[in-house]
Amino acid sequence: MAEPLRVIDFGCASPLRSQTLWHAIGYGVSAGAPATLSFTRPAAPYVCIGYHRGIEEVDHDYCRANGLPVFRRMVGGGPVYLDAGQLFFQVCLPARALPAARWQALSVLLEPAVTAFRVVGVPADLADELEICVGDRKICGHGAGQIEDAVVLCGNLIERFDHERASRVLAMADPDQRDQTLALMRRFVAATPVDPVLFQASMISAYAEALGLAAVPGELTGTERSAVAELDERFASAGWLLGPDRPAPAAGAGPCARQVKVRAGVWTFAATCDGAKVAASVVRGTVEQVRLRAGGLNGSTLGAERALTGVPLRSVAQVLAGFGDPGRRFAAAFATADPGRL
Amino acid sequence: MEQAGHLVVAGFPLALDRRYHVGTHMWVLLSEPGQARIGMDPLGIETSGTLAELSFVPVGTELIAGRPFGQLEAAKFVGPLVSPVSGIVLAVNDAAAIDAALTVRDPYGAGWLIEVSLSDAAGELPALLADPDEITTWFAAKIADYRRMGVIAQ
Repeated sequence: MAEPLRVIDFGCASPLRSQTLWHAIGYGVSAGAPATLSFTRPAAPYVCIGYHRGIEEVDHDYCRANGLPVFRRMVGGGPVYLDAGQLFFQVCLPARALPAARWQALSVLLEPAVTAFRVVGVPADLADELEICVGDRKICGHGAGQIEDAVVLCGNLIERFDHERASRVLAMADPDQRDQTLALMRRFVAATPVDPVLFQASMISAYAEALGLAAVPGELTGTERSAVAELDERFASAGWLLGPDRPAPAAGAGPCARQVKVRAGVWTFAATCDGAKVAASVVRGTVEQVRLRAGGLNGSTLGAERALTGVPLRSVAQVLAGFGDPGRRFAAAFATADPGRL
Repeated sequence: MEQAGHLVVAGFPLALDRRYHVGTHMWVLLSEPGQARIGMDPLGIETSGTLAELSFVPVGTELIAGRPFGQLEAAKFVGPLVSPVSGIVLAVNDAAAIDAALTVRDPYGAGWLIEVSLSDAAGELPALLADPDEITTWFAAKIADYRRMGVIAQ
């Protein structure tokens, strides 16, 4: 007889609980609770940031002014905006049940979600960087992590997506970068407004079948309920929100561009070097849109912007060499962008 | 074949001057008596996905073999860096925490992770692979496994 896949539908939960409930399951599964698939929908909008990411990536003034709490999760990825238009799922297994190679473990955990999307009529694929996509549009945000001896993967069904707010909660001092980020989000992140009840049912079937488990409705154990209380306190604390200790960059390290990833291979950056300001969007290594500002370009800014549009990021310095000293300063600003840091 | 003083096995560099924990792909290089530097081998890095972030426990933390000494994030997956030995953390590699790509570029050198004072060297070191022939055989077998499973490119 197959081992159980405990299924818990938490329904609508407060922003804090929509995080702490499934983190508690991580501790429970680590302590011996069965593999679990859970669902929750945030009762109110909020912002959540990945374990390692800098808190300065969030626009806290905007969040405060709009009543959006900010929490740090224990899984990876960047800062994201969550609201009731998104149904979140979490699958949690003992680490020993998954391949040791993390890339392979992620595939095992994501493929049933792809199946579930297809069952409800969404032609999803597992694309670059293990993102769930339809064509070139990401339709599901995900993150994964190991909590003690359990691995958890979370993701979402995006029924409605507020692109404007999702970009607005991100700290971006340059208004051109903000516009470019919003444009890329609209183009590369899509909602799939399917029936959430059908999606939930197809998720349960897909995960049970793929993992060889028997789906059974369940609830939190006593250990997990205690963990929820502890996590409520931890996640609401200022210390936890700050994140793990990170060393400061070495003295003399050059400036870094502000970079925002929209999906794999799709990102924007803004940088200033010696008075030259650059905001650009990059799609699969090519500069798609660019805005330059600096003194001394004598009206040729537009020409430089045109010359850079459609150019591979690695060839930007070569193109800007034809624009004299301002071109050199723009090239230095471009050089601070690093796709390896996304 | 050798590269920068390391053997190259099926395209992956392998340093034979240290010990390996086969389950975690961590290497242990004894420095002074009772002290060791710990890092991750290139195969462990490659099978994690694109390495994005590294974070470590504070200096002075007591480590237990088999438990985490930090976290690694790759492909949005945050997972533990598992210590192959017990001891006290003497140093962490801030340069790798600032730029995780350093560990990808130079896993056996500048991309080391932590240094520890060993608390049970006599009990734990014999469990690590130390014989160069055994290390090479294990490493080659793991590469073949990962390629067969499609975890790393052919």
